[in-house]
Amino acid sequence: MAQATAPGPARVRRSRRAILVGWSFILPNFLGFALFTLVPMAAAFALAFLDWDSYGTPEWVGLENFEQLIGDENFHVALRNTLYYAAGHIPLTLVAALALAIVLNRKLRGVNFFRTAAFFPYITSLVAVAAVWNMLFNPTAGPVNQVLEALGVAEPPRWTASTDWAMPAVIVTSVWRDMGYYMVLYLAGLQTIPREYYEAARVDGAGAWQRFWNITLPCLRPTTFFVLVMLTIQSFKVLDLIVVMTDGGPGRSTLVLAQLVYREGITEGRFGYSSAIALVLFVIVLTVTVAQFRLNERRNTP
Amino acid sequence: MTTSTRHLTKGLAATAALALALTACGSGGGEPAADGTTTLTVTVWNLAKTPEFKALFDAFQKANPGVKIQPVDILADDYPEKVTTMLAGGDKTDVITMKNVTDYSRYSSRGQLADLTDLVKSADTSKLAGLDAFDVSGKYFALPYRQDFWLLYYNKKLFDEAGTEYPDGLTWDEYAELAKKLTKGEGSEKVYGTYHHTWRSVVQAVSAAQTGGDQLGGDYAFFTDQYTMAVGLQQAGAAIDFGTATSQKSDYRTMFETAKTAMMPMGTWYISGILEAKAGGATDVEWGLAPMPQRPGATEVTTFGSPTAFAVNNRAEHADLARKFVQFAASQAGAEAITKVGVVPALQSPEITEAYFALDGMPTDELSKKAFEPDKVVLEMPVSEHTSDVDTILNEEHQLIMVGDKTAAEGIQSMNDRVKSEVLD
Repeated sequence: MAQATAPGPARVRRSRRAILVGWSFILPNFLGFALFTLVPMAAAFALAFLDWDSYGTPEWVGLENFEQLIGDENFHVALRNTLYYAAGHIPLTLVAALALAIVLNRKLRGVNFFRTAAFFPYITSLVAVAAVWNMLFNPTAGPVNQVLEALGVAEPPRWTASTDWAMPAVIVTSVWRDMGYYMVLYLAGLQTIPREYYEAARVDGAGAWQRFWNITLPCLRPTTFFVLVMLTIQSFKVLDLIVVMTDGGPGRSTLVLAQLVYREGITEGRFGYSSAIALVLFVIVLTVTVAQFRLNERRNTP
Repeated sequence: MTTSTRHLTKGLAATAALALALTACGSGGGEPAADGTTTLTVTVWNLAKTPEFKALFDAFQKANPGVKIQPVDILADDYPEKVTTMLAGGDKTDVITMKNVTDYSRYSSRGQLADLTDLVKSADTSKLAGLDAFDVSGKYFALPYRQDFWLLYYNKKLFDEAGTEYPDGLTWDEYAELAKKLTKGEGSEKVYGTYHHTWRSVVQAVSAAQTGGDQLGGDYAFFTDQYTMAVGLQQAGAAIDFGTATSQKSDYRTMFETAKTAMMPMGTWYISGILEAKAGGATDVEWGLAPMPQRPGATEVTTFGSPTAFAVNNRAEHADLARKFVQFAASQAGAEAITKVGVVPALQSPEITEAYFALDGMPTDELSKKAFEPDKVVLEMPVSEHTSDVDTILNEEHQLIMVGDKTAAEGIQSMNDRVKSEVLD
């Protein structure tokens, strides 16, 4: 006991050594992270306050890039579209993943097959997914519209060929693609709920809906929180699917922030301005995520 | 010698060897190699699918024994970004291919290309089409070797079946009428009268060329007639609608080669593609070339096009040889080499045209030959510091008009407003 309350020099040396050993374990990974993520990120932050065209000497311009951002219509459009995408993609994927997980959590014949099938879109090449959905959404000959017409819809939406429906089409595709992945997370969460809860609830005469509402959902809260955070980050960063499916079109109806970053930086060579947009995107994602963490903490401490 | 110094010497030797290996990689063989060959490096795109490069390289190597050309192959879609990065990073590749004039103006204004004005002045360049596009206040930093321009491809069989004369000297109104007449069938059997690819140039560059309008000017009223025609054809079902074409990522080659369309305005680069497809047995389409339709009252044939050129990197390792290559590509010998694979050379002469039409599989009728000699070829998109920004806006508004989200008048209004407020101010 005396040792624990008043550590001797030998103990200090030993703990320092433990720390060093610990560091040495994460060092290889951390080196890579620092070199390829941390340094470029810091450089990108610095670039946001410079004017640089990838050639010539960067010039310090202070907040000029951000001033330009406020008046840039492309930025407004892209910001609005990104929020629209997030507002559609986050809740829909969450609900679809949860529903799938609950359905596939039963002891059904061939449940493994269906679980695999639901996960399949996630591991399929994104370019293939986008190309196939583009064909499904074909305004004149696409199966989606043929079904809608058969159901009596006189003028079905023109999907990716219309400014109003292009974003919903992209959201539907992305929900379909991502729900399998989050379903797996939810399945894992469902396994952790003790079966006794359900048995007790049944004895007390609770219906299926009540069991879901009072047992399943609260017990899944840590999973839901994790899924929500991941989905939020993913939604704000969306780029690949949109580039392949609509390339921001028609017009600017599906132009998102990450795409604007690419366009201004890589295509137009305005790296300072592009970094400023990236910085704004980073701040948005950070704020939303921090807010989610705070909310979660408050709920966990009644 | 102690153990530690021996270690040190070993270490130094290893470092030196490594450094040597690295320099060897970076230079691509700076000095003539042991066997006396010099390696010239050239940036190219999609080497396997762009036969002109190989044709030119083979011809140059044959004419210059002891020279070996090493292509630096880059994916076509990434070409501008990749070359920009290479040049910014001080890359020493000798010859840089200028895929378009916009990028050329960027590189030359940054001083990344060597001055070739003396090459231009020393030779007779009056027959080198597209050279003017590379004039930067009296100086030239690249020499064109290839000049593509737009004309009208048509399917002879579909014309014969409809009992219609081949499309000679059409106005746009006549063209639209003809397209409606040639449209037939329903569903998957449908044959369209014409096919307008989704690029904005199909509507915009052609009206700029034929009306004399300026695509960088900020006033786009001159697009009106062409949009009215293009949207009208779509609504009449005589051309596949824009939304369908984009959502199925329509390939203009497939449209024409599977006889899904009777006519198609397209660039001359497609000639080599169609020759190859026919030679390979992929299609049996009977095709011909006609001049681009004109505005009413036009006295000569005006179309648009864009040249492709070679330039010498300012940091080139073999600057003299690189200059020699650029000159060769723009010369009679270079033109003959690429003519053989069906590519239209920048150097124009009756002999070259004759050799071109003597190619296996080329149509030999008079109309096709006439189509091949337009009176005036206007540069597809003028070059300035605003080109790329204006291009983005014009493309976005083009999509909105073509999908029917905006009328032509609304779209043009918003082009005017946006180009003025976002770019020119």
